Amino acid sequence: MTESPGATPCPGAFARAWAKAVSGTSYLPMTQAQLESLLDRLTGQLAGALLTEPFDLRAGHRVGAELVAAHIASAEGLGRTVEVIQLRLVRDLGLVAEDVEDRMARLLAAVATGYARALRDRTLDEQESIRRAAMRARTQAERALRASEARFRHQATHDPLTGLPNRTLFTERLAAALNEPGRGAQRVGVCFLDLDRFKVVNDTLGHQIGDLLLATVAERLRKAMGEHLVARLGGDEFVILVERSAGTDDMVAVAETALAAVRTPALVDGHELQISASIGIVERQVAGANPTDLMRAADSTLHWAKSAGGARWSLYDAERNQRELARYALSAAIPAALERGEFYLDYQPLTSLRDGSLVGVEALVRWRHPELGVLRPDSFIGLAEETGLIVQLGGWVLAEACREAEAWSAGGAAAPFVSVNLAVRQVHRPGLVQEVRALLRQTGLPPERLQLEITESTMMSTAEEPVRALRVLADLGVRIAIDDFGTGYSNLAYLRDLPVTELKVAGEFVAGLRSPSVGRTDERILASLVSLAHALDLTVTAEGVETAGQAERLRAIGCDAAQGWHFGRPAPADRILARIR
Amino acid sequence: MQRPDWAPDTIDIERPSVARMYDYYLGGSHNFAADRAAAQAMVAAVPEAPLMAQANRAFLRRAVHHLADAGIRQFLDIGSGIPTVGNVHEIAQQIDPQSRVVYVDVDPVAVAHSREILAGNEQAAVVQEDLRNPEAILTHPDVRKLLDLSQPVAVMVVAVLHFVSDDDRPAELLRTLRDALAPGSYLVLSQASDDGRSEDERAEAERVYRRTDNPLWVRSRAELTALFDGFELLEPGVVWVPEWRPDTPESAEDAERAVFMGGVGRLGD
Repeated sequence: MTESPGATPCPGAFARAWAKAVSGTSYLPMTQAQLESLLDRLTGQLAGALLTEPFDLRAGHRVGAELVAAHIASAEGLGRTVEVIQLRLVRDLGLVAEDVEDRMARLLAAVATGYARALRDRTLDEQESIRRAAMRARTQAERALRASEARFRHQATHDPLTGLPNRTLFTERLAAALNEPGRGAQRVGVCFLDLDRFKVVNDTLGHQIGDLLLATVAERLRKAMGEHLVARLGGDEFVILVERSAGTDDMVAVAETALAAVRTPALVDGHELQISASIGIVERQVAGANPTDLMRAADSTLHWAKSAGGARWSLYDAERNQRELARYALSAAIPAALERGEFYLDYQPLTSLRDGSLVGVEALVRWRHPELGVLRPDSFIGLAEETGLIVQLGGWVLAEACREAEAWSAGGAAAPFVSVNLAVRQVHRPGLVQEVRALLRQTGLPPERLQLEITESTMMSTAEEPVRALRVLADLGVRIAIDDFGTGYSNLAYLRDLPVTELKVAGEFVAGLRSPSVGRTDERILASLVSLAHALDLTVTAEGVETAGQAERLRAIGCDAAQGWHFGRPAPADRILARIR
Repeated sequence: MQRPDWAPDTIDIERPSVARMYDYYLGGSHNFAADRAAAQAMVAAVPEAPLMAQANRAFLRRAVHHLADAGIRQFLDIGSGIPTVGNVHEIAQQIDPQSRVVYVDVDPVAVAHSREILAGNEQAAVVQEDLRNPEAILTHPDVRKLLDLSQPVAVMVVAVLHFVSDDDRPAELLRTLRDALAPGSYLVLSQASDDGRSEDERAEAERVYRRTDNPLWVRSRAELTALFDGFELLEPGVVWVPEWRPDTPESAEDAERAVFMGGVGRLGD
């Protein structure tokens, strides 16, 4: 392509003119001297072709092709070449031939043909190579895009802390396992795992240690579970998906393995942490299962394991779940039932052990359910307390009791007080004092005819507000009773701070009084309680009194009043009041 | 693989590429219809465009020749485009087959094409990177593999800096490159210049260039000279590219028509 400048020491005038003519028609990767030397050599070939007999077209073709190969490869390059040959070649080289004009025409045609062919091939080659490069670049770009998409997808489906699949991926895999065609007859299972008291680790050692612990647990679960998908749903919640379960035994084995993996003490940043986990297991046939129900069931089941103390698995139980759902539905229906007036109160007498008179009544709520009939409080109060609906319901009970009790004084004789249970939430709620005060004002019930029963556990909290509220109420004249005394922690300290009027002793002490031999201890406890109460200027009411014998012994101990079947079952107010008229 | 954030999602040959337009100016056929249309529009506005490209390419050839003669055996060509006619490795390896050349370009098609041309050439490589990311260039494994930065290297920044705006701080980019070079290294630099042109002409030129995807950032001789900070400029300094050590006195005539100014600097010991 490039010639050594020394090959032809002195290019002729024609070659120099030719070089000048083609300079700048396209980029020539050589010096002017190299160009002149190249063209000088081609000049020799042209001169030879012009004179050789017989005339050889191929010499002209070769010159054209060589020009293109030397990058003198443009339309202008050809035009100027034809021009300079036509005008100067014969003259500059002093060529003499018979038919030189004729030969010149044929030579130029041959050069132009060779040049055009070579230029066409070169153009096509270059087009092909740039197109190939574009395709390759496109493939490369698409591959890079796919790789980055795969990376984004990985980020979107994995938990950055533990590297485990996240909720998104788990949900996809679960849905895929349930929707895979032809799998209807097979079984699928999930273990929903939650660390026990993980919050304590975070709160005491800090979130950094908590995070490290989560990463450790995640790694152990991943290793222990092998092919089964382990995902972190968030916080300290993990889930194991067993896409092909052989039955509940299979799932229990998986759960045991997971619990064992978590149970091994973990060394995290110098702290040896002993942790445990709870697992809810759900295992069912693929046909008819759907991810939402499955996970809801797993969640409930996990809570069973938790409420049973943790560090264990629980297996989903459809009947138990049904019962809980029913209970939940019942509590959810309380507000509407209040509006429809489905609740009413029964009253149980509190009888004086000194003279048998009716000193008070305890208000007990009843629900006249349109489908289930009359429901006793134990079937709905517990959940109402958990969900907070107890505040609304308790408020209604308090108001209704005050309203009804006010009317009893019309009878003339000393009217009994009405005793109303207050739930923990009611006592801790601001506004209790105003509520009670407003009720007393609206109904006209004298404060001393209202007794509020609170449990010992109400006073377990260290909050000062409830104590202050109860003190204000006591100052108004409202009676304050401690319900179920003796069954809680019986921390007597609060008796010092609280304006308590009465202790209600739990029925289980009274039950012991039935048989003389067994009841000695209970009787001593009761006697001590009574003397303690009296020393503190409190009255004592015994609950759950069922026999005359019990009543007699309580009286002998000095107990002030009693409540129970022996003295009358809960009944509507008019039936109770009929006794004192 | 990590996709650099400047790399396009797809290769769109309907969009003109400055690398392929440059090839068209040089008389090559490594270009597509969109490139030719854009190049023709440019020629209509600036008839010297093909001359500019050729003069610049000739400057590159003479500079590489000079440096190879001076003993340089390592070349880093940033903004190499479509390395077709008279590319650096051809010139350098003609003088010494052991010369090592790394091409760098941001255009993925130019890179793919370079890769094809360089297939089987153990002494040459191409890297897809941006001049505006000099650290990435200097630490690229292929650059590290082929070039020994403890030995002199010729860094070529030829006909590319006019695509780098002042906001991208060209002086800092060059300083980063310079700081990685061993004494005895060279900087070969050329770019479009408006030196000596009137304000009117400058405004006209900028208006034309602003219509393209890559507006040109023309710079004066003084600005270009300043970019050689830290290098000793070889004679004749920063000049219109045809004036840089021309093969023949005639080839330096009408030099300012070439629009490009350039120079070669040496990093002192």
